[in-house]
Amino acid sequence: MPGNLRVQAISGHSGAAPGSGAQRQERVAKLIDTTTCIGCKACEVACLEWNDLPFRETAFDNTYQTMPQTAWNYWNLIKFNEHTAADGSFHWLMRKDQCMHCADPGCLAACPADNAIVQYQNGIVDFQQEYCIGCQYCVTGCPFNIPRFNPATKKMFKCTLCTDRVSQGLEPACIKACPTGCLHFGTKEDMTALAQTRAQQLRQHTAHTNAGVYDPAGVGGTSVIYVLHDIANPEAYGGLPANPRVPWAVRLWKGPLKWLGNVAMIGGLIGVTLHYLRFGPKKVEEHGK
Amino acid sequence: MTNGWVDIKNTDMMLIMGGNPAENHPCGFKWAIEAKRQRNAGMIVVDPRFTRTAAVSDLFLQIRAGSDLAFLGGLIRYAIENGRVAHDYLVNYTNAAFLIQDGFRLDDENGVFSGFDAATNVYDRSTWNYQEAEPGKVAHDFTLEHPRSVFQLLKKHYSRYTPEMVERITGIPRDQFLKAADLFTGIRKDGDMKKAGTILYAVGWTQHSSGTQTIRTAAMLQLLLGNVGRAGGGVNALRGHSNIQGATDMAGIFDILPGYLKMPNPADKDFKSYLERTTPKTVKPDPWESFNYWSNTPKFAVSLLKALYGDAAKKENDWAFHYLPKIDRKYSWVEIWDDMYRGTIKGLLAFGMNGVAIGPNSQKNIDALKKADWLVVCEIYPDETSEFWKSPGISAEEMKQIQTTVYRLPGAGFAEKDGTFVNSARWLQWKNAALPPPGMAKLDQEILARIFLKVRELYQKEGGKFPGPVLNATWSYTDPQNPSLAEVAREINGRAVADVTDEKLKQTIQRGQQLPGFAWLRDDGSTAAGNWLYCGSWTEAGAMIQRRGTDDPSGQGIYPNWAWSWPANRRVLYNRASCDAAGVPWDADRKQVWWNETQQKWVGVDVPDFKPDSPPKDHMGPFIMNPDGVGRLFAPAAAFVDGPFPEHYEPTESPLVNPLHPKQSSNPIAKRFHSSMDKLGTVAEGYNIVCTTFRLTEHYHYWTKNNEMNVQLVPEPFVEIPAELADDLGLRGGEKIKVTSARGEYVAKAMVTRRIKPMQIDGRKTYQIGIPIHWGYRGISEDAGRTALKLANLLSPAVTDPNANTPEFKGFLVKVEKL
Amino acid sequence: MENSILRYSLVERVMHWIAAVTYCYVLLTGLAFYSPHLYWIAMVLGGAPTSRFWHPWIAVTFFGVLLWMLRTWAADMRITSVDRAWGKQMKRYIENDDEALPPIDRFNLGQKYFFWAMLFAGFVLLVSGTVLWIPEKLPWSLRDVRYIAVLLHVSSALLTIGAFIIHVYMGTAMVRGGFTSIIRGEVSPAWAKMHHRLWYQRVAGK
Repeated sequence: MPGNLRVQAISGHSGAAPGSGAQRQERVAKLIDTTTCIGCKACEVACLEWNDLPFRETAFDNTYQTMPQTAWNYWNLIKFNEHTAADGSFHWLMRKDQCMHCADPGCLAACPADNAIVQYQNGIVDFQQEYCIGCQYCVTGCPFNIPRFNPATKKMFKCTLCTDRVSQGLEPACIKACPTGCLHFGTKEDMTALAQTRAQQLRQHTAHTNAGVYDPAGVGGTSVIYVLHDIANPEAYGGLPANPRVPWAVRLWKGPLKWLGNVAMIGGLIGVTLHYLRFGPKKVEEHGK
Repeated sequence: MTNGWVDIKNTDMMLIMGGNPAENHPCGFKWAIEAKRQRNAGMIVVDPRFTRTAAVSDLFLQIRAGSDLAFLGGLIRYAIENGRVAHDYLVNYTNAAFLIQDGFRLDDENGVFSGFDAATNVYDRSTWNYQEAEPGKVAHDFTLEHPRSVFQLLKKHYSRYTPEMVERITGIPRDQFLKAADLFTGIRKDGDMKKAGTILYAVGWTQHSSGTQTIRTAAMLQLLLGNVGRAGGGVNALRGHSNIQGATDMAGIFDILPGYLKMPNPADKDFKSYLERTTPKTVKPDPWESFNYWSNTPKFAVSLLKALYGDAAKKENDWAFHYLPKIDRKYSWVEIWDDMYRGTIKGLLAFGMNGVAIGPNSQKNIDALKKADWLVVCEIYPDETSEFWKSPGISAEEMKQIQTTVYRLPGAGFAEKDGTFVNSARWLQWKNAALPPPGMAKLDQEILARIFLKVRELYQKEGGKFPGPVLNATWSYTDPQNPSLAEVAREINGRAVADVTDEKLKQTIQRGQQLPGFAWLRDDGSTAAGNWLYCGSWTEAGAMIQRRGTDDPSGQGIYPNWAWSWPANRRVLYNRASCDAAGVPWDADRKQVWWNETQQKWVGVDVPDFKPDSPPKDHMGPFIMNPDGVGRLFAPAAAFVDGPFPEHYEPTESPLVNPLHPKQSSNPIAKRFHSSMDKLGTVAEGYNIVCTTFRLTEHYHYWTKNNEMNVQLVPEPFVEIPAELADDLGLRGGEKIKVTSARGEYVAKAMVTRRIKPMQIDGRKTYQIGIPIHWGYRGISEDAGRTALKLANLLSPAVTDPNANTPEFKGFLVKVEKL
Repeated sequence: MENSILRYSLVERVMHWIAAVTYCYVLLTGLAFYSPHLYWIAMVLGGAPTSRFWHPWIAVTFFGVLLWMLRTWAADMRITSVDRAWGKQMKRYIENDDEALPPIDRFNLGQKYFFWAMLFAGFVLLVSGTVLWIPEKLPWSLRDVRYIAVLLHVSSALLTIGAFIIHVYMGTAMVRGGFTSIIRGEVSPAWAKMHHRLWYQRVAGK
C-alpha cells in the first residue's frame, strides 16, 4: 500500500486525468466498527493534532457530541444518538463521521475548479485548497454533508484520509489513536472481508441479528465502511443516509442539462448567423414615403 | 487487579459494575472489546446511568447508586440456589468448609452482627472467627453440610437477597436481574470449570459507606464461581489515575508502610511487639498446608528500616523502629480536613492534588484552609486550592480576614518527568521525560529534596524535638538536591548491605549488589529494600521496569518481558488456583501454571504464585498471602471492621429505609463527622433525588479545564437528568438547574437524557441524576465567565467507609430546581 | 443628425450599459464555472477565486439595474393588443418583411419579451444563486432546495443566454441603427417611422 499517490480523477478538468490508469494501485479503506466504538473522541483529537487544526469555541448542546456537525477545522466528529429500536431496546449509538471517500464522489462531479478535488487511485478523495475557488458546489454534490467552507480563506476543507500519512505507508491518524480497535485501515478488499466477518459474528453471537456492512453502492462504494448494529437503519446513526447517491440534480446538471445547454448555445449562434445569411439586416429606407 | 488489563481478553464473561471503563479507562477497555471480538465474551454493565461502557454491552441494568452490594448478594444467592458454583474449587481453595464459632451471627432484627456495642458503634469481633479443633488447626467439614460451616452460613446469610428483595433495593426489575444472574453465573453451568468470568470495578464501588464490603462481595462471588486465579477471571480494580496503584504500594495512605506492612501503633512498645502483632500465624485445617507468606514480615520490615535509616538502624536499637511514627487513630483524607477545620492542623503541603475540588463537602475544606497558617501548593496551573481565598461567595471584606499564607510552587507535568507509573495490572513501567519543565518549574523530587534538606539543616543547626528520623534518614543520592528517580527506584528494589548467601541455591549476593527478588530479604540487617513488593524490579541484570519486550509466547497476553509486575513479575495472582487439586489446569486451552511431576515443581507460562516445589498432594492453599492459605468467603480474625460477611446497608443519605432491617438502615460504623458543616439530608426535608458523581473521558479531573483541546471537546459543566424529571420540572436540555444537597448547591446546564430512567425503589418512583465533576472556579470556561463557578463536591457528604476510609462521593440525596 | 429623434435618454443608455457590462461579466464567469472547457475565461478575468468572489456581487448589481429598468420602462413594456396583433405576424418581421407589420409603440413585442424574460430569469437566478452562494447556511434537511437551485440557476441562465444572443444579434447586425441608438440615443425619423410608428407619431407627430 505505501508509495506515491496516483491520480484517478480530477475535478473541473477537460479530458482524462493525467497518468490515470498508467499504474495499478490498490484501493484502501477505513473500517469503522460502530459496535465497538466507545465515543472516546481519541480520533477527533488525533485528527486535530495531526492536521494542526485550530481550536474553535464550542457550546453545550445537550449531548456528548462535540459540535452539531463537522467543521472546516473539525473533520472528524463522533455523532452520539440515543435511539430506541423497533423492539423497544435502548441504544446509545456512536458513529465517527467524516468524509466517506466515495468511489463515485459527488463533490468531484460538482466541482468546477480544475484540480481542486482529486481522486487518487487508492480511493482517497482529496481537496487541493490551492486550486479551490470557494464556490461550494461540492457542498451540493456531497450526499453525506461533509465539505465545509472556511469563510476567512474561502476554501473548502474535509478529511483527507491523511493522504500525507497514507502516501508514506502509515495509517491515518484517527486509526492510530483508536484505543479499542474499532477503527481499522487496510486494503478495501481486506477491510470488506474483516467487516463482513465481524457483522456475521454479531448476527450469530449477539442480539444484533441485523448487523451488516455499510458500503453504499449508490456512490460506487466508499473507502470508509461501517459495521452497523442494524444495517436497515443507518439514519439512526446521526443521519447516515440509507441509500446515498450523487444528487440527481448534480447528475442532471453535469450531464444532460450541460449538453442541452451547449447545443442550445451553439445552436443559437448558428441560428442567428444563418438568419443573417438568409435575410440580412433590416434597412431603413430613408427616402421612403 | 488480581489479573491485568491484557488478561481481560481471555475472559468469557464480564460483569462491569461501579466502573465505566469505556469512559475512564478507554485504553485498557480495548481488552474487554478484544474478548468480545475474539471470544464472543458477554458483557453485563450495571450502572446508575447508561454509560459509554453500557453502549457496547450485551446487557445493561440501571441500578440505584449505593445498592450494588444487594445486587451482588442476589447473585451469590442465585449461584448457590442454582448450583452454579465451582464445587471442588470451593472445598479445596476457599474456607467454605471451615467451621465458625457459635457466637457469630447476624441479628436479623437489628441489622448488626454479633458483638455490636450500640453505645460506641464498635464491634467486638472476637466471635468472628474459625472454630479451632486444636491451636492453629481449624475445625472443618469438607462435605459443606455442617450448619456452622462457612458455606452454610453464607447460604443462609444471602438467602434473604431474593430477586424480589434485589428489586426493592436496587430498582432493577426482577426479570432483568434474573437475566443478568443467569448470564453471569452461566459460565459455571452444570459445574463446568472451563470458562472464566471477570468482574471489573472502580470507584463506583469504592466511594460508598459500604464500599469495601461491596468489593468483598464481588470477591466472594468470584470465589464461589471459581474465577479467582484464572486467566480471564479475577476481581479487577480499575485504578482511576495512572499511578494510584503505585501510590498505594508505596504507602500513600496513613495506615500502611510501603509494601502493605502495617503501621505501628502506640501499643507496639518495641519492634518485637510490633512484629508479633503484625506477623500472621498459620491457621489451617490439619490435613492441609499453608505457605503463609506474610510470616516473612520481619524480613520485609527490617529491610525497610535499613533502607530508611541505613547504618542508624541496628539490631541493638531495634532497627530504629522507634523512629517510625505510631498512629493513635485515623488520619485519612477526611480526618485531615476535619482536623484543619477544627484548628489542630495548621499547615498543608498540597502536591499533585486539588484538595478543595476533590472534596468531599468542599465548602468545609475551603473553610478549613481559611483557618490554616500556611498552605503550599505545587501545581502546574493555578487551581481551586491555591485560590480558595477567592472562592465564590467570599466577600472582599472576608478576604481581608483570611490570614493563610499561600505559597505556590511551579511543578512539572507528567510528560516532563521520568520515573514509573504502576498501572492497575501492577506493572511498574518506566517512562522517559518528553521535554524539560518550563520556566522555573521544578521536578517533584527536587522540590521535596530541597525542602527536606533545608529542614534537616535547621535540625542540625537548631536541634528539635525528635531529630533522629530526620538526621538519620538515608539520603545517599548523587545529587542530593535533585535525586535521580532511577537511584530512588534502585533503592526501593533493595540491595545487600552485607554479603548474603542462600545455602540452598549455593549463591551469594555481594555487599552493595542489587537484590534479585524478595526471597533474598533477611531480618538480620544484611539487606535493605524500600518496598519488598518491588524487590526484583531493578536488579543487577538491569532495570526490569524499563523492559519493552513484546514477545508473548503463550498468546495469553502475559508479555513476561514487558516492564515488571509485582510480585516477582507474576501477571495473574493466585494462579495456582487455575489448576485443580491435582495440579492440572481447569482449562487446557488457557494453561497458566501447572505441576510438572518429572521436575517436581510448578511450571508454566506465568510465574507460579505459589511455593514452587510444593506438590499437590501436600494440599498447600493457593492463597499464600492468607495465613489459612484459602480464599475467604468468611473474613475471620477482624479483617474487616464492619462484618465478616458483607451486608447491604443503605447509603447515609438514602431515599428509603433498608428493607432488610429497618432498625439499622445504614452502615452502623461508617465514619460520620459532626461539625456544623457536616449536615445530612433526608427525604422528609425534600432531598428525594439520588445523585451520583462521575468523570468524563474528555477531561482529567480538575486539570484539563485549563487545556483548550479538552475544553473544546466538552466546554461546560452539566448535570445529567432523566427526561421524565425534566418533564416534571418543565425543563429542556441546555437550561440551567440548581442541584441542592444539605451541604451546598451546584448550578449547571441540564443534559436531559433517556440514558437515565426513573426507577421504582421499594415501590416508589425515584429519580437519579449524575454530575460530572470536572469544573470549579478556575479554568478556561470559568475564567471566561461561562460557568456558575461551582464544585460538584460542594454537594457530597464527608461520610467514609470504615475500612478504607473512602468518602461517599456517590449516592447522596439532592433536590433539583429549574433556574 | 438633423431631425433626429431622441430614443434613449442618457440615463437610459447608462442604465442599459451597466446592465450589459454586469451581465457579460456574470455570463462569462458563469460560463467558466459551467464547463471545464471554458474555465480559461475565469483565468482571463483575473483567476477563478476572484471570479467566484465577484460573480454573485456583480449579479446582484445586474439585478438591481433590472429593477431600475422596470421602474423606468414599466409603462413602455406593457404588452398591448397592438403587440399581440404584431406578434401574430412575427414571421414577417423575421423575414424582414416589415411593411406588412402593424405599427407599434416604443418597443416591439420581441423587445418586451426580452425584457420580461431577463427580469424573471434574473429573479430566478438571484434566488437560486443566493442558495448556491451560501449553501452551508441551508440546513441539511432542506438539501433538496440546493438541488432545485442548481437546476434553476443553470436553466434560467441558459434562457438568458438564448435571449442575449438574439438581443445582441438584432441590436448590432440585424437592425441597423439600433446599436447607434443605444450609444448616442438618437434615431432618424425614418428609422422611427419604420420600426416604431406609433411611438414616432407620439413623440414627433404632434
